[in-house]
Amino acid sequence: MTDAVRLDNVHFRYPGARAGVAAIDLTIAPGELLVCIGPSGCGKTTLLKLIAGFLTPDSGRIFLDGADVTSGTTRERGCGVVFQSYALFPTMNVWENVAYPLRVRSVPPRARRERAEAMLAVVGLDGFAERAPFELSGGQQQRVALARALVFEPKALLLDEPLSALDAATRLTMREEIRRVQQLRNIATLLITHDQDEALSLADRVAVMRDGRLQQVAAPQHLYDKPVDGFVATFVGRANLIKAVVAGPEAVDTPLGRLIVPRHDRPVGTRLDLLIRPERIDTATTAPSLPNTFDVRIARDAFHGASRQVEVALGAGSLHIETITRSAIERVRIPPEAVQFLPLH
Amino acid sequence: MLPRWITAAYLAFLAAPIVLLVVGSFGALWLNTLLPTGVTARWYAEVATDPSFRRAFLSSLAVAAATCLTCLVIGLPFAYAIFRAESPRMRALARVLYQLPVALPALVLAFGFILAFSSDALPLLGSIWLLIAGHVVLCMPYFLQTVVADMQRLNLHTLEQAAESLGSSGLERFFHIVTPSLRHSILSGLIVVAALSIGEFQFSNLVAGFLNRTYPIVLLQAFYGATGFACAATVILLLLALTASIAGALSAGSRARFLVPAH
Repeated sequence: MTDAVRLDNVHFRYPGARAGVAAIDLTIAPGELLVCIGPSGCGKTTLLKLIAGFLTPDSGRIFLDGADVTSGTTRERGCGVVFQSYALFPTMNVWENVAYPLRVRSVPPRARRERAEAMLAVVGLDGFAERAPFELSGGQQQRVALARALVFEPKALLLDEPLSALDAATRLTMREEIRRVQQLRNIATLLITHDQDEALSLADRVAVMRDGRLQQVAAPQHLYDKPVDGFVATFVGRANLIKAVVAGPEAVDTPLGRLIVPRHDRPVGTRLDLLIRPERIDTATTAPSLPNTFDVRIARDAFHGASRQVEVALGAGSLHIETITRSAIERVRIPPEAVQFLPLH
Repeated sequence: MLPRWITAAYLAFLAAPIVLLVVGSFGALWLNTLLPTGVTARWYAEVATDPSFRRAFLSSLAVAAATCLTCLVIGLPFAYAIFRAESPRMRALARVLYQLPVALPALVLAFGFILAFSSDALPLLGSIWLLIAGHVVLCMPYFLQTVVADMQRLNLHTLEQAAESLGSSGLERFFHIVTPSLRHSILSGLIVVAALSIGEFQFSNLVAGFLNRTYPIVLLQAFYGATGFACAATVILLLLALTASIAGALSAGSRARFLVPAH
């Protein structure tokens, strides 16, 4: 099956600046929702602009539905774009906004209005057709923007931080709404965000970006369980990253002390990073005889309702722990299978 | 208490000359007294029938209208070009250049025009077109400032990107998105231009030909004659300017209402 969106070794530098993207290889399958995540300034919005045609790559090729659109204009590409600021046209009412792509495609007025209203019904805005954009709440404006970006059956849907301007409650509703509509229309979608929660819960696949490069592209679970490096590990979910030196086939030395780890074949003396997810650490009072059991002193203890985030001092270092227990924590165990090796960066 | 008195005193200071003008325009006789004696509408009738005032009034309207039209036709694409300029340096330079006439005394511009257009090569001095050209130069900065500021405030660039991604061509964007979005600032910009053009004296006085003298120039000469007549003529100018600023305030008001989001 042809990829809906494909980027082949795309490079772009802003003139006179160091920011940009480099060596981007990325595909989005038809109907797939790909979430691109990364810290601000990592190039994720640049990536969206390159696909939409607002920017032209310095080198590399961009394909939409198998056709090379690298030198095509934004207009020729026909991607539905939803902007962070919604970018609704202030002089048009809701249905005129949604019908605008049909108007410039010379669809007759009656058909325009019908299709716009049908699309508004899909995003849950029946009866809002005659309203002016400024009369709507943020979430409603976002729905109009979504309807407008989908009404002309674009090749791909591109969403630039669509939820960041909304309040927390609306954000959750809109998140599910975007997913629902995206699946209903079965459209290849790129969603840009800096919210890891959004990325993990929405995406078919997540692309993690850093300094203009794709660090890892994988399904959310895979990304969480098998991050390629410390950056991905800390950016997606919470993580303990611990410097270690191999001390034997099943042991490493760390600032926390010696840890028993799953069997491996790295030579003694190898330096590496360990990843231990905070929720994998066992806080139930365990027998001191089990491996990797340590007495700890609590440095910080924060109650979050559903969970409890605890920082404990251990040896010359510290550990973040996420737990549901309400009782005192005096001793923790790090199950050997919870310890992952990461290459040293 | 003191601020209130200061405010009252300032308002009185501001209003007194205007009140005196209005009173004077209806006064039958005003000679070396604090207030005129007798009430009459004669002066207005005289101004209305005075051929040079009628001509000047129409000249002023024609020049103001032509100045507005030129500012719109040249200024809107110009503002758009400044707004869309890629390099920030270019934008800054353009801004300095188009603001220059604000710093330039109209007198200097007039002398420049006299030098340039009294030559045999360009014998345009005294034509109404030259007068309009000068008014455009003097008024354009205010129009551009209003419109460019509105473009930035509206985040027009994103609106255009959105339109472009939805399949809109350059021309379609200009007429569907840019011009309608800017309608309030275009209108208020033009009202400022009209008010400035109608009241302009310095430049017009030197450059206007005898047959296309504008209202303020003729008005000055009225003060050598009957006081009531001069007052009535001034009140008419005042009404013109007032109409322009009320229209401006109304358009600004409707824009403010347009901006208030409802929740």
